[in-house]
Amino acid sequence: MSAETAVEQPDISILGPDALLSEYCQDARWGLAVVRATVLEAAHPQIGAALIENSTFVAHPWRRVFNTLLSTQRVLDADTRVRDKEAARLNRLHARIAGVDPKGRPYNAMDPDARAWVVASLFESTVNLSRMSGVTMSAEDMERLYAEFRAFLVLLEGNADHLPATVEEFWPYFEDVIERGLENTEAMRIILFELFGHMPAPPLLRGHPTIWAAGRVMAGPVISEFLKGTLPESIRQRAGLGELPGSHALARGVYMGTGVAARVLPQSWTRTDTMIGLLDPSLSNDGSGSQLLSALRRQQTRAAALIRLLSPISGDSSSSSAGSAARSADRFFAEVLDQTGDGYVSWPDIAAMAREVGSRLDLDEDTEERLFEAYAGWWRELASALDDDGDGRVSRAEYAAAASTMASPALVRVAEVLFDATDADGDQSISAVEHRALFRTAFSRDVETTGQDARYSRSEFVREFLDFMSGRQGSAGYESLLAQA
Amino acid sequence: MVSAPRHVACVMDGNGRWARQRCLPRTAGHRAAEAAVIDVIEAARASGVRWLSLYAFSTENWRRPSDEIDFLMGLVRRTLRKHALSMCARGIRCRFLGVSDPRIPPGLARDIADLVELTRDNRGMTLTVAFDHGGRRDIVEAARALIRDRVPADLVTEESFAEHLPHPDTPDVDLVIRTSGEQRISNFMLWQVAYAEWVFPEVLWPDFRAEHFHECLRAYRNRERRFGDVRSPNPMVKGIR
Repeated sequence: MSAETAVEQPDISILGPDALLSEYCQDARWGLAVVRATVLEAAHPQIGAALIENSTFVAHPWRRVFNTLLSTQRVLDADTRVRDKEAARLNRLHARIAGVDPKGRPYNAMDPDARAWVVASLFESTVNLSRMSGVTMSAEDMERLYAEFRAFLVLLEGNADHLPATVEEFWPYFEDVIERGLENTEAMRIILFELFGHMPAPPLLRGHPTIWAAGRVMAGPVISEFLKGTLPESIRQRAGLGELPGSHALARGVYMGTGVAARVLPQSWTRTDTMIGLLDPSLSNDGSGSQLLSALRRQQTRAAALIRLLSPISGDSSSSSAGSAARSADRFFAEVLDQTGDGYVSWPDIAAMAREVGSRLDLDEDTEERLFEAYAGWWRELASALDDDGDGRVSRAEYAAAASTMASPALVRVAEVLFDATDADGDQSISAVEHRALFRTAFSRDVETTGQDARYSRSEFVREFLDFMSGRQGSAGYESLLAQA
Repeated sequence: MVSAPRHVACVMDGNGRWARQRCLPRTAGHRAAEAAVIDVIEAARASGVRWLSLYAFSTENWRRPSDEIDFLMGLVRRTLRKHALSMCARGIRCRFLGVSDPRIPPGLARDIADLVELTRDNRGMTLTVAFDHGGRRDIVEAARALIRDRVPADLVTEESFAEHLPHPDTPDVDLVIRTSGEQRISNFMLWQVAYAEWVFPEVLWPDFRAEHFHECLRAYRNRERRFGDVRSPNPMVKGIR
């Protein structure tokens, strides 16, 4: 897309609670549009490389969906300061993602064409899925929605020069990118062929692996076929999907079905927040509404504790303690450290943790910078202590061999900075509200028994963080932040 | 004096001697200790003791032979699992003091966390098991915590210091029972025992039963606790024999 003609820039003030996009992103089905858009994004060589190298999408697919929704909600916030802050945060996040793909081509998440494509595929997916649900968008609505997406790009980039000015011009642009700009990238293949086969359970079902596994066996192929059925023909051919009779009809059926459900079920059930709340009670951000759920959840953890205590001791008791310590280091490595799921810990994994904390706490630039620096310091320490073969990453074996014996001043530094970032009002202790902002859950320790004005002190916070990050002790809060979703 | 002490702590000593007297391996003494533990928990609850602490394993105990340690870890795990449900049913809140050494097997650590979670909201009696515990270590940890919290020096008081100890809601110990006649503190809850009365029954821990426990409570009631006051005489310091 050329930027030669001075096109009129949309007014970013059309973003907000009254935007058409607001309605869409409150409908739980919009989640499917986000997933579909991700496939289109992944087929873009620059974005595909960035996803493979940096994103936690494969290892933590739920998190990516939740974060996209959260980010969209912030961009549509009534308060313009919230929107600007989110745009600045997204820009900082993207500025950290750059590198060279396996074919030696540089990629950069700040590339204006690539970012325009992200917005374009979100727009196209929203229109496309709306059509499939049986409600064709009016030309007026479509123009309005398009202007909103362009305004979104203006908010990020300062201009929308890399997207055509009107909807009429958009479709040829979209076709053109599909035909000439996209590739059969590894990232796209992973999403289409692997992701839904081994997608981890959403947090609610984490305690019920069998239910999730059974559901996934049925739902996985359906969602995956649904996605394939909705993709543009030429992408399907390039991905080797060929002609799949029935796939398109299935896609239609799924979306029509959810459309009918949306009409039959109480409105609140199909709202995005409700769905997310059900999938992951810890993410419902209003404390009041989720109290029942958190009470239920607490009952659930207690029941799980009882079941574990009553079930016979499994084989690990007979083996040597050194063996089981290594096994627990292994599990910690897979569930927490290896955020990108490639079997190694490298800077993108550590950066993903910093990124997750940054988006949860909605940090300002300085604090975020300090957090990234602290994490970078920890990474340097990890790499110099554990990367024996010097390949710039730490393998499972390297981690298991030495991790438990490692003393880690840089990790203490991370804990300190994390405490400062979480302690939003700077009173040197974490209140219930601040705790909720980071972990999305209420206090779960003995803190609540020591008084009505329960708080976490710096030392308690640091100690719990170190216990968790050294793999010694579980922590519901950190697990929901870094291991689950 | 009628009321029971609020907080009773037991240093469970004499398992090894009990086994040696019977020409049994030391491990047999540990195994026999389980019955005493269960009896004492029930006796304490029935006598109205609100806080019971048991010294199960000290930071110094890691120096023992590795097969004895392995056995102890397994024994603690089996005992804990066996009685978890009845603890919960009796309204006993279980907590652990220490438990930070990486040598603790992950399975046991998991069970400990589960038992704590399971009984968290119980309000009947609080049972604190000092496992991998060291009194000095707790004090050092509290000092570290104060420094990390950046508490100014003149704000460090006995109260603010105590708030930084693990489980700061635990009241001071009123009575310590150390079995087998040994008369040492052995680095046990150093801060909390500052004003405690100590009794040293000769009976070895595996033989210690509810009646011995009641006897200790009687001895405690007969003592006059003065907390350093000089207005009344201090008739006895002697433990029961």
